[in-house]
Amino acid sequence: MTGALLLLSVLLPLGMLAALAWPRGRRHVPRLLALAPLPAIAAALLGAGAPPLVLDADRLRFTLGLDLPSALLMGLAALLWSAAGLAVRATLARQPGAARFAAWWLLTMAGSLGVFPALDLIGFYLAFAVASLAAFGLVIHDRTPAARRAASVMLLLAVLGEICLLVAFALLAGAAPGESLAIAEVLPALAASPWRGLTVALLIAGFGLKAGLVPLHVWLPLAHPAAPAPASAVLSGALIKAGVVGLLRFLPADGSLSDWGTVLTALGFVTAFHGVLVGVTQANPKTVLAYSSVSQMGVVAAALGLGLSTGQAAAPLAVAFYAGHHVLAKGALFLGTAAAGGHRALWLWPALVLALGFGGLPLTGGALAKAAVKEQFAGNLAGLLAALSAMGSTVLMLHACRRLAAKADPAACPPKLLRAAWLGLAAAALLLPWALQAPLGLGDPRATLAPAELAKALVPVLLGAGLALALRRWGRRLPKVPEGDLLLPMERLARRAAPLGAGMLRAEAALRAWPAAGIALLLVVAALLLALRGPP
Amino acid sequence: MSGAGLLLPAALLLPAVAAMAGFVLGGRRAEQAALLWCAAGVALAFALLLAVLLAGAPVAYHLGGWAPPLGIALEADGLAAAMLAATALVAGGAALYARGEGGTAETRAGLTFWVMLPALWSAMAGILLGRDLFNLYVALELLTFAAVPLVALDGSRRAAEAALRYLMFALLGSVLYLLGCALLYGAHGTLDIAQLGALARPDPATLAAGALMTAGLLAKTALFPLHLWLPPAHAGAPPAVSALASALVVKGSFVLLLRLWFGALPALLTPAAGQVLAALGALAILAGSVVALREPRLKLLVAYSTVAQLGYLMLMVPLVAAGAGQAWTGGVLQAVSHAFAKAAMFLAAGSLAQALGHDRIAGLGGAARALPLSVGAFGLAGLTLMGVPPSGGFSAKWLLLTAAIETGQWWWAAVVVGGGLLTGGYLWRVLAAAGGPAAPDAPPPAPVPRRGEAVALALAVLSVLLGLLPVYALGLVRIGAP
Repeated sequence: MTGALLLLSVLLPLGMLAALAWPRGRRHVPRLLALAPLPAIAAALLGAGAPPLVLDADRLRFTLGLDLPSALLMGLAALLWSAAGLAVRATLARQPGAARFAAWWLLTMAGSLGVFPALDLIGFYLAFAVASLAAFGLVIHDRTPAARRAASVMLLLAVLGEICLLVAFALLAGAAPGESLAIAEVLPALAASPWRGLTVALLIAGFGLKAGLVPLHVWLPLAHPAAPAPASAVLSGALIKAGVVGLLRFLPADGSLSDWGTVLTALGFVTAFHGVLVGVTQANPKTVLAYSSVSQMGVVAAALGLGLSTGQAAAPLAVAFYAGHHVLAKGALFLGTAAAGGHRALWLWPALVLALGFGGLPLTGGALAKAAVKEQFAGNLAGLLAALSAMGSTVLMLHACRRLAAKADPAACPPKLLRAAWLGLAAAALLLPWALQAPLGLGDPRATLAPAELAKALVPVLLGAGLALALRRWGRRLPKVPEGDLLLPMERLARRAAPLGAGMLRAEAALRAWPAAGIALLLVVAALLLALRGPP
Repeated sequence: MSGAGLLLPAALLLPAVAAMAGFVLGGRRAEQAALLWCAAGVALAFALLLAVLLAGAPVAYHLGGWAPPLGIALEADGLAAAMLAATALVAGGAALYARGEGGTAETRAGLTFWVMLPALWSAMAGILLGRDLFNLYVALELLTFAAVPLVALDGSRRAAEAALRYLMFALLGSVLYLLGCALLYGAHGTLDIAQLGALARPDPATLAAGALMTAGLLAKTALFPLHLWLPPAHAGAPPAVSALASALVVKGSFVLLLRLWFGALPALLTPAAGQVLAALGALAILAGSVVALREPRLKLLVAYSTVAQLGYLMLMVPLVAAGAGQAWTGGVLQAVSHAFAKAAMFLAAGSLAQALGHDRIAGLGGAARALPLSVGAFGLAGLTLMGVPPSGGFSAKWLLLTAAIETGQWWWAAVVVGGGLLTGGYLWRVLAAAGGPAAPDAPPPAPVPRRGEAVALALAVLSVLLGLLPVYALGLVRIGAP
């Protein structure tokens, strides 16, 4: 039953994609995108812990199944996809190019939702690649020069990430004793693998790239703002969680990776602060939100890294809970950038509450998310850094709200459906963590209401709010960092390599002359003779 | 002799009959004969494939009931069956693409194409099914002599020059191969592959024969740095011919190379020799891709992509020699999926050039809107070349990659993935240009036949779908593998 639901959660988007081949489908499907993720929601609700579904057990062993962390992320991501689908109906579905947008949307969705239940190397790689590559069509949708550049940078880095993962998966398969490609069966061999370090480094690079870890985050602040708002929402909310679920799935928190846990923690904290520092210099609210995503994924990576280094078996679920809040809240805020307009109570106040939630404002879902990863940040240094990053998040998110207010048109009247999607998702981000925390075994949410906890949670928020005021006053003096900060030096470096290509071109042209080819033929014969003679 | 065995001589002789008949009948009859054969040939190739799959062992046929070395033996193993099916589909696709282009009157180009297409098919079948190095030589020559007139098809000076260049270099390769055959025959008294496999020892004559024959075959495969003839020949020909030449003809000599090293002379294949072959392959990937990254013309870009992709085929040699069985499957899968993908690319590039009146990549703007089928075919075929799942190219590269890692030859793993990145780079150039806005002064694209575009798309889809049935292909390709 759950197996069928899991299968359906990938097949329904693909089926709707196929329906676009007919004129009737092109007319209706763009308006029905909100329905496509429903099987995934059902599967996540019913399917956690059920025995996995194995397709073609004798040969391919495509395996689909959900554990608690992946079920949580899948359900929330599907909820976001559905709400964003409503937003598409409200904004894009009647515009020219709606069918094309729907095609890329459904393909990306199929990949994005397929990543969570995929339990074998090939299926996971397939879903991950589809999600990464198809997102290209969402980013480039507006066909502006900025969108083109963002999409091409994203595609290049996505391909790089794919290559990292491909090699890592091949190394995993190579180190495992059997023929099976089930993740659960290849991972135990990782600890004793001769290529352990390389494998883990490639996994972190490949998944970190998708999740936006520094220095591989450069595509994210370009791509997420360039897409139409509903696409930004799913890119920043749901799609980067493919990287998170990859880290959760492939880095076992059983203490065998304690050395790499430290690396991941360091990367995570650097990312968390880098995102804040660059984000506060940005003017476009969507770019600020994208940098906030980078920063938040840094916190996720740091929490997971700490869980790995101390071998906490509960870490994946706690991390998934934290990331799950980000799915809803960030997705909602990106929808909010499109729904901003009209009465302030309908966009600015909810946005402010969500924004402060990222800093851990008590009573918000964000406060519960922070409480869930308390165990991981229990150390003195880690706790201090986590509190500092919460303060930074507060500053960054208040900056985002200010930029949003500056850009919003008070006279505009966003479509009702868009507003409903935005407010519904915002409410979900605030309330769902309350409903989910205790059933998931992550502690009683009411514990965050104890006076001592309240005070502890309020300090970063208040400090951050103070800093945000300072930023408002003196922010203009900050240097302007271009979107995608480290990308520009990287591009300069790449241009340096151009003469290399020109040299190779000349060499190839010289080899195509007859005398050179004749000599090459003789040399090949000679080389083969030498090689065939073998060792004397 | 079982009924399945009769499929082998039929696959070899019937296309030759079709070529002869076309030559004698002339005009539109040649086209009809060739098309008739194409339909029959696809069915025959798949019947053979099924026969091999069901038998689980190579299917053999001895002409006239005479066993080798006296008689001529034909044998279809998994490699031959898979390549023959690919030959059938690609040649059939090229024929569909070219159908009706010549009009009703007999033209020199039309007659040549429709006679040489089945002739080329017959030669391919000879190479795939032959088990005797001299018969294979004959088939290889027939393949060259069928391909050269096709390359010169449009009669222009450039095409004639390209064809002549091809002919001269291919003949140089033939001479080296024949010399090696003579040495082997002198040393062992037989050219039958199975018998040689048991007899061959690393004595000087056999060593020299191995080196000479390999170099000759590499020249015919256009492996870098022996590729001087390929770009002008493949890029200058009409689309259907480019597709045949790039997808099939260069693979003929490659299959022979496999037969030579893993059938006739396995005892001679030192690790160093495998490394030399794979190193040439790696150089081909690098050089071909870098040139493709900077090539201003679409058809030349696709031709250089062939130079690069042929390099991947060489990577399988040291991996198979080191005992990684999946590398054999990976290499054959790469050959087959490249055949489909490259044919699709050349056909799509042909449609684009026909519609736009030029094949400058910089001037492709607006093509994605005007010819979505062709650009889509190009993109899908590109996925296979890059090795993006679920394409056939992905399965091939995954198998080569794991083989490289398992045999400890990690440097070839680096080549496999680095090559994928370079491939992505040059394909991106084309797709980004085609997806961009049309130049304001560009003339509107001319209408092109939908059928041609559909053929390209079908071949591209096939190349992608191949990745979904690797398991069944896996079992097939392993049949009769070393």
